[in-house]
Amino acid sequence: MMQSAPFNYRRIIIWIGRIVLGGIFIYAGISKIFFPNHMLWPFFMLKFSVATNLANFGIQVESYRLLPAAGVAFVTYTLPFAEVSLGLLLLIGWRVHIWATLVTLLLLGFLTGVTRAYLLHMDINCGCFATPEPVSLKKILEDSSMAVLAALMTVFAFQEARRPHSWSAPAKPST
Amino acid sequence: MHQLLDTPTQQAAQPQVLLQPSPAESVGMPAAHPLIPPVITVAKAAPGLPQATISVGGVNDIDPAKAFGSKNAPIIMEIFTDFQCPACKQLFTTTTQKVMDNYVNTGKVYLILRDYPLPMHAYSRLAASYARAAAHIGRGEEVEQAIFQSQEKWEMTGDIPGAVAAALSAAEMKKVQALVEAKTFEPLIEKDKHLGQLVPVNQTPYTVLHTKSGQTFPVVGFVSYDYLKPFLDQLIAQK
Repeated sequence: MMQSAPFNYRRIIIWIGRIVLGGIFIYAGISKIFFPNHMLWPFFMLKFSVATNLANFGIQVESYRLLPAAGVAFVTYTLPFAEVSLGLLLLIGWRVHIWATLVTLLLLGFLTGVTRAYLLHMDINCGCFATPEPVSLKKILEDSSMAVLAALMTVFAFQEARRPHSWSAPAKPST
Repeated sequence: MHQLLDTPTQQAAQPQVLLQPSPAESVGMPAAHPLIPPVITVAKAAPGLPQATISVGGVNDIDPAKAFGSKNAPIIMEIFTDFQCPACKQLFTTTTQKVMDNYVNTGKVYLILRDYPLPMHAYSRLAASYARAAAHIGRGEEVEQAIFQSQEKWEMTGDIPGAVAAALSAAEMKKVQALVEAKTFEPLIEKDKHLGQLVPVNQTPYTVLHTKSGQTFPVVGFVSYDYLKPFLDQLIAQK
């Protein structure tokens, strides 16, 4: 009889990570693209809104004073879409270990940037979502918790990826 | 961009005496029919208000010293600004200047500059007072430019008079100083702030575009001229 994969603590962490971080990443990406300006119709307004929202996000990226102009432009126009894609891929659950690794690296990058800005007393918005949020200790704790969850998810996803799936056919006994 | 950090308690504590809007008063109220010329009304100065405000195309409480362009323009553009906010500086020194040259001076846009000093910024209210006073002696643009250009300096020291003095003659500076000390234009700044709360402005800069057909389009945060231009052209073409 075919057996379903048993739930263990590793799989529970992976599930929590996929749902929580997948949801947060999708929301973060969408909010950067479509908010705070959300005129979606007709097309020229949608185009204007998206361009303006991304330009505002660009100002927030630039305010960290970490990247040259080309780097700021690259992050501005790729990060929101990457966040949506990674969020979706985590939720879909296909090759989780790969996307979990990327999410962990991104979160560690965010955590570094936010911590640096906080330690330098920079009066900037974190640029995490559409609503401006000042860089604060609370923000660092939030980013740290997400990074820890992402790291655990990554480690467990790699361990799970090495194990044969319980539905896969048993190896043929050698003759 | 800067977030509004007013709590409801703080908002309630702000002076409201001169600022009670009439039932018809709202920033986004519909304008007149496109074929009917805009109604321009001049309100009598209320006791305590230094000067009458005007209404253009359904937008009320405009300080004429802080408004530019033709009152018959197809687009009315209101910008809520905080002088200590970096994105406002960027908007003023890049986009607004170009809008002024290409749309306001050509009669396509009527531009209204509103003050929206955020409580989180220690000196933005004082900067707004100086800019308003300078506007009333006819030197608003130069002084706003000077205040924004030296933002990084005075936000550390609070030396706004120093920044303003660089743009004015000694006699003009004396007049401006006297107006600021007498708090002559504080009610107008409060009025702008109150209108912003009605929008509601939740971060600065915050732009509201009004068309002749009565549509309003809020634009939150900085917007570059390259993006704003096609948008304005489309709105003007729609009239």
